[in-house]
Amino acid sequence: MGRKLLLKDINVPGIKSFEVYRKQGGYASVEKALKTMSPDAVVEEVKKSGLRGRGGAGFPTGMKWSFIDKKSEKPRYLICNADESEPGTFKDRFLMEYIPHALIEGMIVSSFALGAKTSYIYMRGEFRWIFPILEKAIEEARAAGFLGKNILGSGYDLELYVHSGAGAYICGEETAQIESLEGKRGNPRNKPPFPAIVGLYGCPTVVNNVESIAAVPHILNMGGDEYAKIGIGKSTGTKLISASGHINKPGVYEIELGLPVEEFLNSDEYCGGVWKGRKLKAVIPGGSSVPILPADLFLKNAKGEARLMSYESLADGGFASGSMLGSGGFIVMDETACIVRNLWTFARFYHHESCGQCSPCREGTGWMEKVLHRIEHGHGHMHDIDLLVDVAKKIEGNTICPLGDAAAWPVASAIRHFREEFEYHIKYPEKVMNPKHFEIEPFRSEKNLVMA
Amino acid sequence: MATLYIDNKPYEVKAGKNLLETCLGLGLDLPYFCWHPSLGSVGACRQCAIKVFKDETDTRGRIVMACMEPVADKQRISIAHPDAVEFRANVIESLMTNHPHDCAVCDEGGSCHLQDMTVMSGHNYRRFRYNKRTFQNQDLGPFINHEMNRCITCYRCVRFYRDYAGGRDLNAFASRSNVYFGREEDGPLESEFSGNLAEICPTGVFTDKTLKEHYTRKWDLTMAPSVCQHCSLGCNTIAGERYGELRMIANRYNGEVNGYFLCDRGRFGYEFTNSDLRIRQPFISKFPVTKQQVLAEVATDIKKGKVIGIGSPRASLQSNFALKQLVGADRFFHGVSDNDHNIADLIVKILKEGPIRVASMHDVQQADAVLILGEDLTNTAPMLALAVRQAVKQQPMKKLAKANIPAWHDAAAKELLQDEKGPLFIASINTTKLDDVATATYHAAPDDIARFGFAIASCLDRSVPSVSNLPGELQSLAQRIADALSNAERPVIISGASSQTQSVIRAAANVAWALHKKNKNTGLAYTLAECNSMGLALMGGHRLNSAFDAVMNGHADTVIVMENDLYRHGKAADVDAFLNKAKKVIVFDHIVHRTVEKAHVVLPAGAFSESDGIVVNNEGRAQRYFQVYECHEPIQESWRWIVDISKFENNVGMGWEHFEGLTRTIAEAEPLLRDINRVSPPASYRIAGQKIPREPHRYSGRTAMLANINVSEPKPPVDPDSPLSYTMEGYKGLPPSSAIPFFWTPGWNSVQSVNKYQEEIGGSLKGGDPGIRLIEPNLKSTLSYFTELPEPFVPMKDHLWTVPLFHIFGSEELSVLGDAVAKRAPQHYIMINALDAAEQKLSENQELAFDVEGQLYRLPVKISTTLPKGLAGLPYGLPGLPNVELPAWLIYKK
Repeated sequence: MGRKLLLKDINVPGIKSFEVYRKQGGYASVEKALKTMSPDAVVEEVKKSGLRGRGGAGFPTGMKWSFIDKKSEKPRYLICNADESEPGTFKDRFLMEYIPHALIEGMIVSSFALGAKTSYIYMRGEFRWIFPILEKAIEEARAAGFLGKNILGSGYDLELYVHSGAGAYICGEETAQIESLEGKRGNPRNKPPFPAIVGLYGCPTVVNNVESIAAVPHILNMGGDEYAKIGIGKSTGTKLISASGHINKPGVYEIELGLPVEEFLNSDEYCGGVWKGRKLKAVIPGGSSVPILPADLFLKNAKGEARLMSYESLADGGFASGSMLGSGGFIVMDETACIVRNLWTFARFYHHESCGQCSPCREGTGWMEKVLHRIEHGHGHMHDIDLLVDVAKKIEGNTICPLGDAAAWPVASAIRHFREEFEYHIKYPEKVMNPKHFEIEPFRSEKNLVMA
Repeated sequence: MATLYIDNKPYEVKAGKNLLETCLGLGLDLPYFCWHPSLGSVGACRQCAIKVFKDETDTRGRIVMACMEPVADKQRISIAHPDAVEFRANVIESLMTNHPHDCAVCDEGGSCHLQDMTVMSGHNYRRFRYNKRTFQNQDLGPFINHEMNRCITCYRCVRFYRDYAGGRDLNAFASRSNVYFGREEDGPLESEFSGNLAEICPTGVFTDKTLKEHYTRKWDLTMAPSVCQHCSLGCNTIAGERYGELRMIANRYNGEVNGYFLCDRGRFGYEFTNSDLRIRQPFISKFPVTKQQVLAEVATDIKKGKVIGIGSPRASLQSNFALKQLVGADRFFHGVSDNDHNIADLIVKILKEGPIRVASMHDVQQADAVLILGEDLTNTAPMLALAVRQAVKQQPMKKLAKANIPAWHDAAAKELLQDEKGPLFIASINTTKLDDVATATYHAAPDDIARFGFAIASCLDRSVPSVSNLPGELQSLAQRIADALSNAERPVIISGASSQTQSVIRAAANVAWALHKKNKNTGLAYTLAECNSMGLALMGGHRLNSAFDAVMNGHADTVIVMENDLYRHGKAADVDAFLNKAKKVIVFDHIVHRTVEKAHVVLPAGAFSESDGIVVNNEGRAQRYFQVYECHEPIQESWRWIVDISKFENNVGMGWEHFEGLTRTIAEAEPLLRDINRVSPPASYRIAGQKIPREPHRYSGRTAMLANINVSEPKPPVDPDSPLSYTMEGYKGLPPSSAIPFFWTPGWNSVQSVNKYQEEIGGSLKGGDPGIRLIEPNLKSTLSYFTELPEPFVPMKDHLWTVPLFHIFGSEELSVLGDAVAKRAPQHYIMINALDAAEQKLSENQELAFDVEGQLYRLPVKISTTLPKGLAGLPYGLPGLPNVELPAWLIYKK
């Protein structure tokens, strides 16, 4: 049984409400920070904790905070990135929906640490129903004196707003999010300047993921050093994993980083194993944009060591044989899943969500989607596979924002690991006519057939 | 300076610029789309990828976008590295996935930047085998055609339209490969600069609709350098002809004047040259006659009669001077109202005798504080308004240096500066389109504007007479403006003739002079009424009313009116009386108007496209326009008619035969114009023994275009007036900057080839920007401040002080005769303040009958809350609206 922090009280009845949350020890970190600590001391604790951004990139949060332009006389802003839209990731939604005060508490102490007097929660447009939940939580916190002017008599003022996006994945990219919040078209900005210097309304700004912000109160409560003891190596603390796909128990789980992947996949405490007793085919461990791993490379790295649920272990092997922890969108596929179809779905998503600003992503994602559509429906050609690799290569690393990379990586890795499946689609068009083709007849490698 | 190694070759380059403009400036070819010298870099198209290496030993390097990377000393880059080459080809390949492959039938094909860049990148094989995305096009009005399927999403259109020109109704919609550039709904583009989209767009999404009406491949046009005729700024244009019709006006870069852009009146106003109203043959008493007959008639009239000549602010120096020479200096009159005449003289005096150098449009763009007194620039001098829009960015841009952001980095600059605007103050009669970027505005009657100007000057220098009983808040605004101007490094004061009030012009001079005492970089710019108002003022001549008197008193009985509709410059009753009294009225013009209708003899003059001439813009810059195509017999320039008349009369002639001789005579006779023979190279000028071709070497159909008449190709006409030939033969390299008929360099078939004609990207043309400045300041000026302070404006019961309101489309005489511009002209109206309307119980569009200076009007009312109370605004110069000298009192008629 791993340690739980964020979801510790998830089963307490009424935890959505302020009273119950407070009774469970909520808002203690606000009292501690505002009454006994300086903003810099809070930043210091977060640095010590080794907390890494939970949105996907895994950049150390404390370090990000320390980049904020302190010399500027302009106001500073904290934006909570609640535009969780990556296919396979739904942990932030769960947190906001069921323990809204965890986020509000985190926002207050984080804003205090950064010296922000106004902070925003930028929420994904599709999360309509969570909007009133957060609004209510903010009102409750304000009524209790945790928001507004002169919080807890400390002289610190904070206004917190929830802003709803309009349904664009790209607005989860921090600079596009800032543009959107300013009321503009959500196109990512060129960097530099970085938001920590020139962000929202031209002012120093920090953008953090929901889960990162919700982790800050726990760090303050237990101390940064103590928090750093949880986890393994540079992957400290606990992480929410959104498990989905062909498993017995899909859902959001809090794990201590460093948990063996096999345990996470198979133990009844977590995913409960692949469903219907089927064989595991592949896993996307960190949300749709990270490279897919075939079963063998997922459970053990190229050197044969068992993989752990940590930033380092999942990335072991680089792009050739590794993947990433990403946002923790853990997608499991059994032997009946079609990698091509899955990839086509992702490609469709990324094409649909490309902002249309820079050429490689705008035109390339649509092209990949079209090629994949054709292969999946049995109209592909052998040279299409190399074309896909080529188009993906030309997008990767050559765009203004990481959406291009996110669209290209899954394509590159799927072909790298499952090239035979693509060839199968091209060789046997009649077999893939039915969308559920691998449920009818699971894919078998022809190489193995010959050898057997 | 920095040393930059490009593909291992060292170059000495200017530090601080980006690598793309540096490479282009060195004459190297590097493809690009989203970057534009006026718009800066955003790094969106990813087309200008190059390799950057850490040092000599680095062989891998990394791909960067040249437009986003500043030059660093000892930097090593490669354009030719295979990775970079492949990358660029790949970007083109991806752009081509959705771009139609219809170059052969596309309007832009052959003069398309996308096409050039595609060829340059080497991409030549299509791997994309799917349907292309398609769009619905919009009707964007009479100027611009929309063809969205061709879009490659470079965003240059919206960046120009919104960020540069301040338009609001064009935007980017939707996302991914489905981004749509257009309006929310069909309708004319509202910006006065929408025509530039046709040149900003790297392919054929936005194209010139007037060209489409009589479409010709751009390289099939016979082209010549020209100067815009539709306001006093003198923007440089390229005019193109085919089949004896003018078909296109395009921008001709001039770093000091219009830069890369033109306004829509300038670009689309040319259609009058093809209009049915053109006078194409001589008439005597409304009957068509031959050239010989009309020459005989006019020669006799001149010999017999007591002749006076009336010149024109829209005719060239050459034509005006020829008339002046023909009739004699003391019998030559300016064809402008006396008020306009006085204003032009006042402006010349201020600029010639004062200590301040006239600000060019480039100077205005660079200004970091601007004060506009009494002008609605968007409607009277549109390109100057565009320059002011850039000037308001100068003050905030100073922050960029502090943040280590280079000025060309548009994306970063926009994030840092957001909507911050530098100081711009506008005192005008009514609200103007520039108000949205102004720091503060003041709307008042012209005399009050003048008083306000005096107050600002007095805040700057106590020796300027102070203005008593100015309201408190106005006094503090004046102080605020004085402070902002004093704090600026390059302040500019702009005023002009459109308020028709001399005191406003004096006030502007006072402010500029007071400021000049503190800051020698102060600039002053005045706009005038027409394209050669300045030239006419520099030439000297008598007032129009004296001409009227001369005829009414019997001192003269024969009147020669040259390229001028007197009804636009004098009161209808006076002009009627004058023309009726004159025994003989001889008119030279290219277009029919009321004065022509009253003429006994009409001689068909060439429009600007059929003429050679020099005009002087508001800056005092003399610029030449060249004949684009030979006139159809018997049309010819007014000055050529005059030499023909004089030869007919006494067989002696004028002492000159052609343009050059005439220009030399002017330079000798007119002290203020003595430099004009340096404006363009002489007719004998040759490069490598060759003339400069008016037709690109790609010109096609030459042997076929007249084959229906005669299968033998006619001998091309000879141009005695310029070093330009009428054919495609001639020197293929760069011509002198004042004689560039079109922009083209190998591999660059679109207007983007202008890069290769510049000293440095966005700087002046090689050999200096065209035009000779005739007015230089008097640095030892002893001119003292103007002291004639007008009385404050006091509304009068049952009267309204009527001022002219100008319209970019409609107020100018010639442009409005073309269909496209006419469609954008407003209906007749009289604008009054809401309070006055309430007093008179008038509602919007209700008809109001009134009298101004004896001229009766009956017009629908337009109610305004911005036009000051006690004032009325009468649109200036709309076709069919009688002219009256304004400002003047309006009296209500029951």
